[in-house]
Amino acid sequence: MLLQATDLNAGYGFLQILRDVSFHVNKGEYVCLVGPNGAGKSTTLKILAGMLKPMSGSVKFQGKDITGLPGNKVHRLGISYISEALDLFQSMSVKENLAMGAYTMKDKGVVEKRLEFVYELFPRLKEREKQLSGTMSGGERKMLAIGRGMMSDPSLILVDEPSMGLSPEMTNAVFNALGVLNEKGVTILLVEQNVTKSFKVSQRGYVLEHGKIVLQAPCAELAENAHVRKVFLGV
Amino acid sequence: MANEHGITSFLPRLGEYCKSTSGMTILFAIIVATAAAVHSGGYIILNTVVTGGMWALVGMGLALIFGVMNISSFVHGEFFMIGSLVAYYVYSPFVDIILDNPNTFFAAVMPLVAMFAALIMGGIAGVLTEHLAFRPMRRRSKKDWVMNSFVLTLGLSILLINCHQVFFGAEFRGIVKYWNYPSIAMMGTYVSFDRLMVFFIAMFMILAFWLLMSRTRIGRAIRAVSQSEPGAMMVGVDINGIQTLTLALSCGMAALAGAALLFMYPAYPTVGMGPLYNSWFIVIIAGMGNVTGAAVGGFMVALLQVLTTTYIGEGWDYTVPVVFLMILMIFKPSGLFGTAVRGVLDE
Repeated sequence: MLLQATDLNAGYGFLQILRDVSFHVNKGEYVCLVGPNGAGKSTTLKILAGMLKPMSGSVKFQGKDITGLPGNKVHRLGISYISEALDLFQSMSVKENLAMGAYTMKDKGVVEKRLEFVYELFPRLKEREKQLSGTMSGGERKMLAIGRGMMSDPSLILVDEPSMGLSPEMTNAVFNALGVLNEKGVTILLVEQNVTKSFKVSQRGYVLEHGKIVLQAPCAELAENAHVRKVFLGV
Repeated sequence: MANEHGITSFLPRLGEYCKSTSGMTILFAIIVATAAAVHSGGYIILNTVVTGGMWALVGMGLALIFGVMNISSFVHGEFFMIGSLVAYYVYSPFVDIILDNPNTFFAAVMPLVAMFAALIMGGIAGVLTEHLAFRPMRRRSKKDWVMNSFVLTLGLSILLINCHQVFFGAEFRGIVKYWNYPSIAMMGTYVSFDRLMVFFIAMFMILAFWLLMSRTRIGRAIRAVSQSEPGAMMVGVDINGIQTLTLALSCGMAALAGAALLFMYPAYPTVGMGPLYNSWFIVIIAGMGNVTGAAVGGFMVALLQVLTTTYIGEGWDYTVPVVFLMILMIFKPSGLFGTAVRGVLDE
């Protein structure tokens, strides 16, 4: 088991969002966490990434307790977080953003290799190498955020709503890239509202409603589940 | 970064730049300075350049603090004061020996030692401020951060001014000159060796600072934090460390300016007020949080003050920049160098 979350309770101020959320991700898996707006999907990812401290519960990564560890330390353990807001460095060029992604890596040769890897994954980024990230389109920014997350050669990436605000073609391009990464052995935890798409690409899924995990099963089964079909797929 | 394109594309780019607001302003400032120099003598340009360099240092620090930590610092002048105090106490015990034997190695190096001591002490003061004041407050709550941090710096400023008064008294502690070398004739006037050195030190520091910010890994991390704190955290940057470093750098530069200008501004409790106002003029003119703009802004504020002193009269030199600022705020609130997408190193 690569990542295990146990009984997470979390929220903002007096507002509790997550109630006893437990789940796990195995090494090499492609897991999705789906649910309606406001169910607590992004909050869950924020806790895993160290951007938010849970009220109670624990997070274990590779057997090590990382609950409440700040984001920069979580990143150093090999977890990359691609947030919904992307949080790119707006007045830095694409290349500088990617270089920041490799901030924790000292070996220049390795950084160069990672850069090539990212450019291969997203050729568009190489074309836009010198452009400021703040002036790019939504899809390109999403690619850059994923690329930046990949620079540090993480073993697990947490992706928050990669399809949001993207055209269907861009969405496909982003999901294809995530698929390629998974084939290369990167474990992926995906948070999505686009349920149909998520079930197609990932192996196992969790359904989060009102801060609780209500269902968990392989995606093929989830797609056939009566509750899921009624609530999310509208059939 | 012009060096990536070579001279052939640099000239058209320069032409293009001159048509932008910042380019036009710089061009206009240069023309005004030249005209004034032709009319009243070269000392206008010399004074502008000498004091402008140091105001640029103070202003760049203030812009950096604003850009990286989102603090509107009103305690920045007190680091200037700390610098002048440190330089005074390092330098003055040897002042007789140095001024009597100007041609020894000791006399040549001692002023630099005093300035370096001020730089270090300013940096330490900055680190202490971060650890004792800003960090506890940040840990408590980020709510109303801009307002709270502003009030905190204001209180800290009053505290430090009064500490100076209690522990060192209210008298002026100054020196006549750092280096006892003859003045140098230049552009129709005499320039003291001190002023020349002050200019070179300022230029060196601005260049070193710019290289640090644009070419090094740590500088890139500072810029990253200023552009997106969560983003920087996500890629593994230790935000606390960067913020401490930012304060150390900024306060160190302000203290260095205080030390370098000791022969013009003796150490006394409220010596930091002038530099504080100046650096705020600079930061607002340049656009909040824009460090490159602040470097240029330093010279523009200095020019404005020198022109005011020459043509309107002594004592108006803080009024005219304020009026200029008001007009600017009406027509271009983002500052002369402000842009939509920006960070601490914008061009």
